[in-house]
Amino acid sequence: MNEYWPWWAGAIGLALVTINYTVTTDRFIGVSGAWDRVLHWRKERRVERLNDRVTDDRVLVEALAAATAEQFGGRPAVPTAAFPPYGGAPVQPPVPEQQVRRTAATRGRVASLLPAPLASQAALLLSIFIGGLIAAVTSGRFHLRLDMGDGFRHLVTGNPTHMVGVLFIGGVLVGFGTRLAGGCSSGHGLSGCGRLRPVSIVATAVFFGAAVLVSFVLWKVI
Amino acid sequence: MRTRGGILVANIIAGLALGYTVGNIGFGDFAELNRMFTFQDLRMFLAFAGAVAIIVVVFAVLRVRRTPGRIHAGVIPGAVLFGTGWAISGGCPAIPIVQVASGYLPAFVTIAGIAVGTWLCRWANTRYFRFDTGSCGQ
Repeated sequence: MNEYWPWWAGAIGLALVTINYTVTTDRFIGVSGAWDRVLHWRKERRVERLNDRVTDDRVLVEALAAATAEQFGGRPAVPTAAFPPYGGAPVQPPVPEQQVRRTAATRGRVASLLPAPLASQAALLLSIFIGGLIAAVTSGRFHLRLDMGDGFRHLVTGNPTHMVGVLFIGGVLVGFGTRLAGGCSSGHGLSGCGRLRPVSIVATAVFFGAAVLVSFVLWKVI
Repeated sequence: MRTRGGILVANIIAGLALGYTVGNIGFGDFAELNRMFTFQDLRMFLAFAGAVAIIVVVFAVLRVRRTPGRIHAGVIPGAVLFGTGWAISGGCPAIPIVQVASGYLPAFVTIAGIAVGTWLCRWANTRYFRFDTGSCGQ
């Protein structure tokens, strides 16, 4: 039965995925969030375009302010600060390069508050499929079948119609529940618990507890 | 790596690695999953808990920014529904993708269910609950 990885290899694998993603992008890795955005792609794309325009506008405004400051030797928005009254020495106009750097930083800051681009989240879901396919084929587990395996047949149901019903209802509960709770086993469980966020620890404890309870019912009762 | 292209590459790497790891741990195997949740076999449980432990230590050392997260009224009911759904269908949102990739064709039904549930939740949330659930996948 144990052609699967030992526990420590799995732990290192999952930890590496989460840590690498967080360090490179400064974001949470969340599969249910990716589903949510990809499934609402029409609306999300509209929001994304709007956000692009807003960040562009903000950058444009800052760039204009910098150019004006360069030309007139002071920031037009705060003239009193540039030329203090009672013969004080005029404040040095800001150096244009500094302004430009600040503009780029502002853009980065604004962009990191926005969700990851829609296309990249679709790519995440597709990559999970390819990664899973590589794992199944290289380990010799790949096997096209119309059932969910012996475990499902023994524990839940052997009837194909019932199976479809159970999987669909289970899927609806998973989709609805993860979005209501604001995350799933990757967003709350790995990224959130890793950051010791109270909401993620509560959510993980509750969904794990519920799954344990229902699994015991499936194992012992049904 | 915070540009659009950088995030795309990071997502592709994360997806490939996550699919490969989840598949090889055995999360896509319903029997293994039930044995984990009933504590008959601690292997997958330790893989998950071990990963969280490593992440906690590394994030603390790297001083990863803590984002605030409010425990709104949807967290506990949502988590109960999710746990129940996971136990009966064997799918957290990533697992059915790995199941399909391993050849379990009925997992497409689970994916369809997840799609319907996700739509329903956003519809119900904008209409009735109005929780600020945006905490994941950002």
